[in-house]
Amino acid sequence: MAERRPNRTLGAPHDEFWAYCDSGELRLQRCGDCSHVSWPPVDACEMCGGSGLSWDAMSGRGRLVSWCTFHQRYYEELETPYDTILVELEEGPLFVSNPSGFSNDAAFFDMPVKVAFADCEDDAGAFRLPVFEPA
Amino acid sequence: MSETAAVAVVEPRPEWSRRAAIIGVGETDFAADYRASRAKEPGFVPPTAESLAIRAFERALADAGLQRDDVDGLSVSLIYGGGEPAEIAKVLGLQPRWLARGGGTMSGTIPPAVAALLTGRADTVALIYAAASRAIGRVFGGGTYSSGPTSYYYYHPWGWSSQAAHWAMIFQHYMARFGATEADLGAVATTLRTHAQRNDNAIMRTPLSIEDYLASRYIVKPLHLFDMCLVNDGGICIILQRRDMAEDRAHTPVLVAGWGHSEIHKQKLHYLVRERLRPQFDEAGQQAFAMAGLTRADVEHFQGYDASSMHLLQQLEGYGFAEPGEGLHFFQQGHAGIGGRLPVNTSGGLLSHAYMHGWNHVVEATRQLRHEAGDRQVEGVETSFFSMATTQEADPVIFTRGV
Repeated sequence: MAERRPNRTLGAPHDEFWAYCDSGELRLQRCGDCSHVSWPPVDACEMCGGSGLSWDAMSGRGRLVSWCTFHQRYYEELETPYDTILVELEEGPLFVSNPSGFSNDAAFFDMPVKVAFADCEDDAGAFRLPVFEPA
Repeated sequence: MSETAAVAVVEPRPEWSRRAAIIGVGETDFAADYRASRAKEPGFVPPTAESLAIRAFERALADAGLQRDDVDGLSVSLIYGGGEPAEIAKVLGLQPRWLARGGGTMSGTIPPAVAALLTGRADTVALIYAAASRAIGRVFGGGTYSSGPTSYYYYHPWGWSSQAAHWAMIFQHYMARFGATEADLGAVATTLRTHAQRNDNAIMRTPLSIEDYLASRYIVKPLHLFDMCLVNDGGICIILQRRDMAEDRAHTPVLVAGWGHSEIHKQKLHYLVRERLRPQFDEAGQQAFAMAGLTRADVEHFQGYDASSMHLLQQLEGYGFAEPGEGLHFFQQGHAGIGGRLPVNTSGGLLSHAYMHGWNHVVEATRQLRHEAGDRQVEGVETSFFSMATTQEADPVIFTRGV
């Protein structure tokens, strides 16, 4: 059953990101001028301002930079405690996500992880959420 | 009356150093108001931004020994709603020549006022701030926030939102990098609590031990309850005047000696978590020191924005008052205490005094530099470094004692 989640930010250019997730792909915007990968989605490269952006497939591999566990409840959709992680993708961007198949108690600095997709839903309907499992 | 100007970044100018002075400060009764708002006795009337602003303004006028009509400039920072600046001017009984909209927090509010004073747009400026945070039920995270891509509220689907989440991610990374522990971080909250115990208007004055700290609930692990600032209602007014008009006042004038500004334009999470905003603090700090003609070694008192203990730690390290990874030792060894090498947040900070978005830090710097801080006076202090900081910008202001 799909997990209920707080609402995504939708509209251009976000819809494209989520559409790729729905097909099981983690794609982010790479700049044609400076090769920098921006995240979250941008209208122009966050590094050089270039507008020639292409949705490039990421390897899905990364390493844990940090993590934290929510005890204070901020969302009615999410029961506490729950874990969040910060992953440095191989291509550079830092990606806020959730662990899958491990908990923060087992997390360690620089831990290798790889992307997986969890079936979720919000007010806009079903979607697949990129999460990370041990690599 | 002039048009309402929005606060813009005012470049530091050495020729403006020490030519404007804080001559009056006023604040509401944070501790008593906090207790009343929790007790909600019959007849309790929650404050409004306007009621708080009026009380702070009248107290600042009295402190400065001024009449209402002496004030010809006004900057209004009502952070969580309230009237437009022109309406607030009317409520305060003012007809200012210069009227500005402040930013809410202390960020960048003083430099435009100094500029107004030194370019002849006003002679005496009141900066007004009020926050009715508790009264309006302000929640600091979750789905109540808009979620634009530059905002940290973009991460709703993963449940990552709130100020606490930032400092928690940063501290977890800091622990991995420098071998610090949760108990080490407790030195920040416990030090500031000892300062609040010397402040009658501090909200939290109960003794706090490291054991109490570690036994407190997590907000976002690894951060505990006492790592996060208070939420309370209050108002503050700070009155500034041209230095040459500020002679023969009841209180020693406190001079605006220098300021700086730096902010993140890209890769926010990288600069926050891995750099802990060090490039921004360093750049803004250097600007402020250059304008003031001072160096780090001249600073004798530090007032840093402590939305969280971690936030304060990264400012101390970011400006270079402690080496990277050494900031918690600085607290543990007593250097940040009153009587220490560099007393930090001597009124108790946002953690134990009151959450006034940096404004109470400026009031405390003023009292210290006047040598009117009573039990918590830093002996002989001449230079105070105030650091306003958010999750993406640094706005330090250096104050000196006008002799």
